[in-house]
Amino acid sequence: MSNNKSTVGIARIKVENQTFYYQYEPSLLDSLEAQNIQAPYNCRAGYCGCCKVRLLQGEVRYTDEAMVDLKDEEILTCICVPKTHIEIELPED
Amino acid sequence: MSYTTFNVANFDSTKEPMFFGQNVNVARYDKQKYPIFEKLIEKQLSFFWRPEEVDLSNDRKDFIDMPDHEKHIFLSNLKYQTLLDSVQGRSPNVAFLPIVSIPELETWLETWAFSETIHSRSYTHIIRNIVNDPSAIFDEIVTDPEIVKRAQTVTKLYDELINLISVQNVHGYGVHTINNVEYDCTLWNLKCKVYLTMVSVNVLEAIRFYVSFACSFAFAERAIMEGNAKIIKLIARDEALHLTGTQNILNTLASGSDDEEFKAVAVACREEAIALFVEAAEQEKEWAAHLFKDGSMIGLNAQILSEYVEYITNVRLKSVGFEEVFAPRQNPLPWMNAWLSSDNVQVAPQESEISSYLVGQIDNSLEDGDFDDFDF
Repeated sequence: MSNNKSTVGIARIKVENQTFYYQYEPSLLDSLEAQNIQAPYNCRAGYCGCCKVRLLQGEVRYTDEAMVDLKDEEILTCICVPKTHIEIELPED
Repeated sequence: MSYTTFNVANFDSTKEPMFFGQNVNVARYDKQKYPIFEKLIEKQLSFFWRPEEVDLSNDRKDFIDMPDHEKHIFLSNLKYQTLLDSVQGRSPNVAFLPIVSIPELETWLETWAFSETIHSRSYTHIIRNIVNDPSAIFDEIVTDPEIVKRAQTVTKLYDELINLISVQNVHGYGVHTINNVEYDCTLWNLKCKVYLTMVSVNVLEAIRFYVSFACSFAFAERAIMEGNAKIIKLIARDEALHLTGTQNILNTLASGSDDEEFKAVAVACREEAIALFVEAAEQEKEWAAHLFKDGSMIGLNAQILSEYVEYITNVRLKSVGFEEVFAPRQNPLPWMNAWLSSDNVQVAPQESEISSYLVGQIDNSLEDGDFDDFDF
């Protein structure tokens, strides 16, 4: 598991006990959906906050500006893509 | 201190609290205490739409073909939505503008209320298109006891705050007795009222509206009343922004980072605030029973709608830092997500309301070497 900024190659996404490669979907949320992972969402544009997940490891790059308060480890999957290998944790319900 | 429309005092608005500081003077946005409100304003402006853009001719046919109990569901829901937006089109302005102290928040309040007036206009557009006599529907909003009951709870805190602010404006801070009625216009009580009113607005935008959206979208899930659903989708896109705004205000106030005293206010009002969520949830469940009293529709009944009320109430409580009050559950209406997603709002890309379409984004600078790697 690399926390290295200069990740070589394609980013890996780890969610709970599943790991897969980022396929250059427009957003992390799309990547999760492509794997049939039930990730929460509503607006898909960074302003409702429904898609908030915890980033346990790695870094993401935002494609749009978030309009909701985020704690340090929280990210909005609808407006970001992985920058390095990442590990995320989905909310419980 | 009486309200002034242009405060001539020379002060730095970025040092002012959100509420109860100096009255705003220059509407300037070059430096902001809270850039989030500026972002919300820009997003809201990029969302601009007009109800007339949506064709409702098929909805008229769908409506005529509906059985009576479905007509009751549809019209009651629409009447309720009309009530909510009638309140929201004016109240944020009347209640909060006299006490706001930050230019970007002041403009956000106005932009927010303005977008609600578009929603009100769209209900007229819908009603005019589906029935011959719109007056009959509008008149019932103030005579239907179920709707009137709701009107009283959604406006109670707004009215209390507005009354106290009016008294404070004339008599100043303190407890005043006028015509044997006592008005507690101490700064502490006013802050409590602002906090609770904001919670009640959040409840209105984040729970009550979403329950009504569920009904509107349930019709369109069966491929009827689709024009109506298109309009409601645009309204829902706006509402998501508004609730982000109120959640942000509530969280900022409760953190005490804006005004230390508000932290204590939020703690003191916590139980009352949670009770507002619970009261709304219970009312919405009663409303669900009223909607479906003559029969359910395919895909939605009082039971499922009540489960959705509990689910959405939990989600909204967590967003403003409160504990869930209902048993945790999965979203009983998962198809709602597709309707609430803004990127599925279909518009031609050249239309300015698509949020990702930006004007003036062309790079005008050209350097000597920019074409060096071109081969002809």
